[in-house]
Amino acid sequence: MEFFLQQLVNGLTLGGVYALIALGYSMVYGILKLLNFAHGDVYMVGAFAGYGVLVAFGGPADPRIPVVTLIVLMFLAGMLASGILGVVIERFAYRPLRNAPRIAPLISAVGVSFFLQNAALLVLGARFRSYGTARMVDPATGLQWGPLRISIIRIVVILSAVALMVVLHLLVQRTKLGKAMRATAFDREAAAMMGIDVDRVIVATFLIGSVLAGAAGVMVGLVFSRVYHFMGFVAGLKGFTAAVIGGIGSIPGAMMGGLLIGLAEAFSAGYISSTFQNLIVFGLLIVFLLARPRGLFGVPEPVKV
Amino acid sequence: MRRFERRFAWWAVFALIVAACGGGGQATTTTEGPGTTAPPATAATTTTAAPATTAAPQVCEAKIGVMAPITGPAASIGEEQRNWALLAVDLYNEENGTNFELVEGDTQLDPAQASTVAQQFAADDAILGVVGPAGSQEVEAVGPIFTDAEMAFVSMSATRESLTDGSLPTFFRVVPHDGQQGPTDAQFMIDELAASKVMIIDDQTSYSTGLADTTAATLEAAGVEVVRESVSQDVTDFSALVAKIDDATDVVFLPWQIAANAQLFGDQMAEQGKDAVIFGSDGLFSPSDFTVEGAYVSAFAPDIRGIPEDADLVAAYEAQYGDFGTFGPPTYAATVVLLDAIRSLCDSGAELTRAAVVDAVRATDQATSILGQPIRFTENGDVDGGRFFIFQIKGGSYELVK
Amino acid sequence: MPEIGTDRWVAEFESRRVRREGPWGRLIEWSSRRWLWLFAGAAIVYPFVIGGDFGIRVGVNALLLAMLAIGLNVVVGYTGLLDLGYVAYYGLGAYGYAFLASDQFGIHLPTPVVVAVVALVVFGVGLVLGQPARRLVGDYLAILTLFFLQVFVELALNLDRLDLPFVDGPVSITGGPNGIAGVDPMEILGFRFGQVRDYYFLLLVLVILLIVGVTNLARSRTGVGWRAIREDTLAAEHMTIPSGRLKVLAYAFGATVAAVSGTVFAAVQLGVFPQNFTVALLIVVYAALVLGGEGSIPGALVGALIIAMVPELLRTPAGARLLFYGGLLVAGLTLVRPRRRLAVIVPGLLLFGLAVRALVAGIWPGLVAAETAGGVDRWLLRFSASADVVVSVLFVVTIAVALAAVAVRRRRVRDALLILGVYLLVLVWENRLVEEPSITRQLLFGALLVVLMVARPHGLLGRPRVEVV
Repeated sequence: MEFFLQQLVNGLTLGGVYALIALGYSMVYGILKLLNFAHGDVYMVGAFAGYGVLVAFGGPADPRIPVVTLIVLMFLAGMLASGILGVVIERFAYRPLRNAPRIAPLISAVGVSFFLQNAALLVLGARFRSYGTARMVDPATGLQWGPLRISIIRIVVILSAVALMVVLHLLVQRTKLGKAMRATAFDREAAAMMGIDVDRVIVATFLIGSVLAGAAGVMVGLVFSRVYHFMGFVAGLKGFTAAVIGGIGSIPGAMMGGLLIGLAEAFSAGYISSTFQNLIVFGLLIVFLLARPRGLFGVPEPVKV
Repeated sequence: MRRFERRFAWWAVFALIVAACGGGGQATTTTEGPGTTAPPATAATTTTAAPATTAAPQVCEAKIGVMAPITGPAASIGEEQRNWALLAVDLYNEENGTNFELVEGDTQLDPAQASTVAQQFAADDAILGVVGPAGSQEVEAVGPIFTDAEMAFVSMSATRESLTDGSLPTFFRVVPHDGQQGPTDAQFMIDELAASKVMIIDDQTSYSTGLADTTAATLEAAGVEVVRESVSQDVTDFSALVAKIDDATDVVFLPWQIAANAQLFGDQMAEQGKDAVIFGSDGLFSPSDFTVEGAYVSAFAPDIRGIPEDADLVAAYEAQYGDFGTFGPPTYAATVVLLDAIRSLCDSGAELTRAAVVDAVRATDQATSILGQPIRFTENGDVDGGRFFIFQIKGGSYELVK
Repeated sequence: MPEIGTDRWVAEFESRRVRREGPWGRLIEWSSRRWLWLFAGAAIVYPFVIGGDFGIRVGVNALLLAMLAIGLNVVVGYTGLLDLGYVAYYGLGAYGYAFLASDQFGIHLPTPVVVAVVALVVFGVGLVLGQPARRLVGDYLAILTLFFLQVFVELALNLDRLDLPFVDGPVSITGGPNGIAGVDPMEILGFRFGQVRDYYFLLLVLVILLIVGVTNLARSRTGVGWRAIREDTLAAEHMTIPSGRLKVLAYAFGATVAAVSGTVFAAVQLGVFPQNFTVALLIVVYAALVLGGEGSIPGALVGALIIAMVPELLRTPAGARLLFYGGLLVAGLTLVRPRRRLAVIVPGLLLFGLAVRALVAGIWPGLVAAETAGGVDRWLLRFSASADVVVSVLFVVTIAVALAAVAVRRRRVRDALLILGVYLLVLVWENRLVEEPSITRQLLFGALLVVLMVARPHGLLGRPRVEVV
């Protein structure tokens, strides 16, 4: 039972991170029908920005400011850097391709991804950087319930992921911008005819999606400590997978998809075999997609004739 | 806007064609080396002086290649290897008045790219030997090409046992193979740690699975219970795996190459309150990145930071490139082996051919090296007398325990 | 925004195609009729012109990529199925060859038999794994096929310690991360392929056969059916086109082409390794296809040649430099309008460089190269190796300035930014990028992909068409 709970916690942390990455994917997809393969690298930049703040304030072992303030600052820096980057990418790599064939921005995105990865390699070097959270916050502190342990940093990460998702939900459901985003996702031309500034909505979508990716980057740094130039690639694939599993374009779907994949990974590694962990996860997903071809929350599109 | 795009494409295609023609020519001519913008002042003066005074000894001049994963997922390894090779060539030239040049080839740890790079090096007549490639599967892929070209290639990190079975006559390596490390580590776990149950987690690379196999074989032969797990190098989280370590497990063996991964593994063990001991292979020997208290690490050479003769070298590297881990020093050693071989040919007045370089490398007899040990090669290219030391991490520093 | 009356526009597309104007257009028109001969001629001459095995090896890589791209063109370009598992079939072909022609299982079948068996088996596998294409559409099919690729890579990586019933000890099927080395070279009709050159010509024959085959197939009822499905599946079904069957057929056809090229790849490399068949290769194949223009065979060919050759060109610093300064020249000539403004910008650039140099020489003399230096050093600053941080910051600033120069509309500001941007680019290039050829190669490749896509959204040789989303 503790083993189960332990894997549940592990899966939830990982899933929360995947969900945040998937949200960016899914929001952009919902509006532009574009698979933004550079999204993972935006997340990488966010993680590095957080690391930069950490180093600037004296590193994990003896920070010059209180740890809580430091973590907040790291989140802000990561979200800011990623947000700006996302908007810049949209402006220069995607906007010129707004009416191009659907696959063209895909290749453009791949180009951006190559560029960002190697720019990071050039500027920051290839060495793995470590947030060193274990030296900042003792990993053994936190909730302890019998043999089950949840470290304080995991709690922080799970809570902030949930908080960000709630904020996003309110933003999309309750604000004017959210309404405009939903309208644009539903039908871009019609939205434009109703006086919605579609370009601005798209920029806002990229901004929000990238900010979430930046937050995810800092979270990964905090919980899983390692930051390096190539981290966005795998995370991007996972985020993409989560977005599709949830029903691509659907915001609650992306959240659920992320959690589902995180849990599937933790439980398959825990209960079956770590060697075949990926195989099992992919196998499950294949079966799932065959059974529900439009993901968890996807609705069949009406066929226009 | 349409017009603009069309013109842009026009020019881009034009430029590509021009570039392709120019580059195609470049690939076949080997006279002009890279980095001609800023030759070191000394080299420039010696080369211009040489024709004037015919009596002066000829400057020993050659190119060598280095193959490493300089970009891509394994760049953290390749960057360090490339930098150490660069440093080796620079220092060697400075010290011996030679004029060696290093050509880098990025393989991304992909055997297909390694083959292409190998062909590039083989086609360049000025290249007399190659440092690398890094991975065992890359060595397998480039083997036929370098055998045909009679090119000596000295690897700094390919440890698969079967590489030196005699099928690759021009292959050498400065690191001992898996068949030496695995049993040593296993014996230590049995004798000193009194292990009764060991979890072995490979990271799905050629290096890792080979080492895991040899270690597991020795452990099982001694009646120790072995649990095999495996996890991809670029996985984000190890906690699901950490949770599987049960109370009976007393040693977790990590034959990994990414020290930061092992550090996280250790941190997550602390987080979940697991008290098994981590035992790392030489890939984790990295005092800056892997500092889990009480963990053991094996290595085929003592930490070069602790060797007094290497102090200048370490300082020179850190000044120029920053921190380093476990992959750099063997690359330095491999580079020096090659350069020494070529210079010995120069000194004896022999003709500089690749075949001669192979023989000269085989005849290598360094009384000591950067690794603090002699380097000689066996008939099949293995480093002679390779043995392993075992360190324990205490208070953040590596202490030799055996 | 798509024009009103999209469907009609699509329907009339072929008849409304106008001949391209101008010298470039005429060249395209001419070469679009004679391109196969042009290509064949150039490709036959190429090994003799280029000399050396390296050039031919690059040619082999290019032809392999061309085969993959043309095969993928049938799946993606004609039928419109986004197949992200394509590379798995390349891998299946390669592993199939390795199983049947190496010491792994001690089987050494004759090459034609191996290729035939592999092609048949993979065609069958394609028919089975293509079934989901009947139900799944668009990106759901994409992710499903991507899973196929991941599963393939995982199997290749992990089927090396399998405990099978009735067999003692773990069995290695794929060799795990070590792959299978020592694969037999090909041998056809008694001719043993020993050199890269032999494979080059074999691949050339295969590519030409494939092009002829696919061209004819595209004109057949099947090919018309494929494209009808791409344009509008529903309408195609109402025209009694069996869309499900045709989709699966296209998928399996692509898979077979990939598998056959995989067998050649395994023989060229004399081994197969899991690292050969990753998502990275998938990206390369897609980039080749889309860059050339999806739906166009000459496009796929040109795209494959560019994608295979340009990165190799970038490997040598001299080649990279040529491409870099060539690119700057092209960018200058296209971005600056009217072109006479170059008369202001180029001298301005030179003066700016000299001014900065003079200014810096006064403050930090260490940054300026010695008087004896020639060429670009008389104009530029040189940073010492310890000033890497400065150069890194400059690199980021450079990107920002260059992007701003593209975005700004006001002419004077734009010219000023251009001068600054080009100066910074050259500065960063000469100080840092030439020292990191491997990273620079990837950087330029990424930038090239973006620029080419933005400049030619339909690919170099693709035809614009409106998609019904």
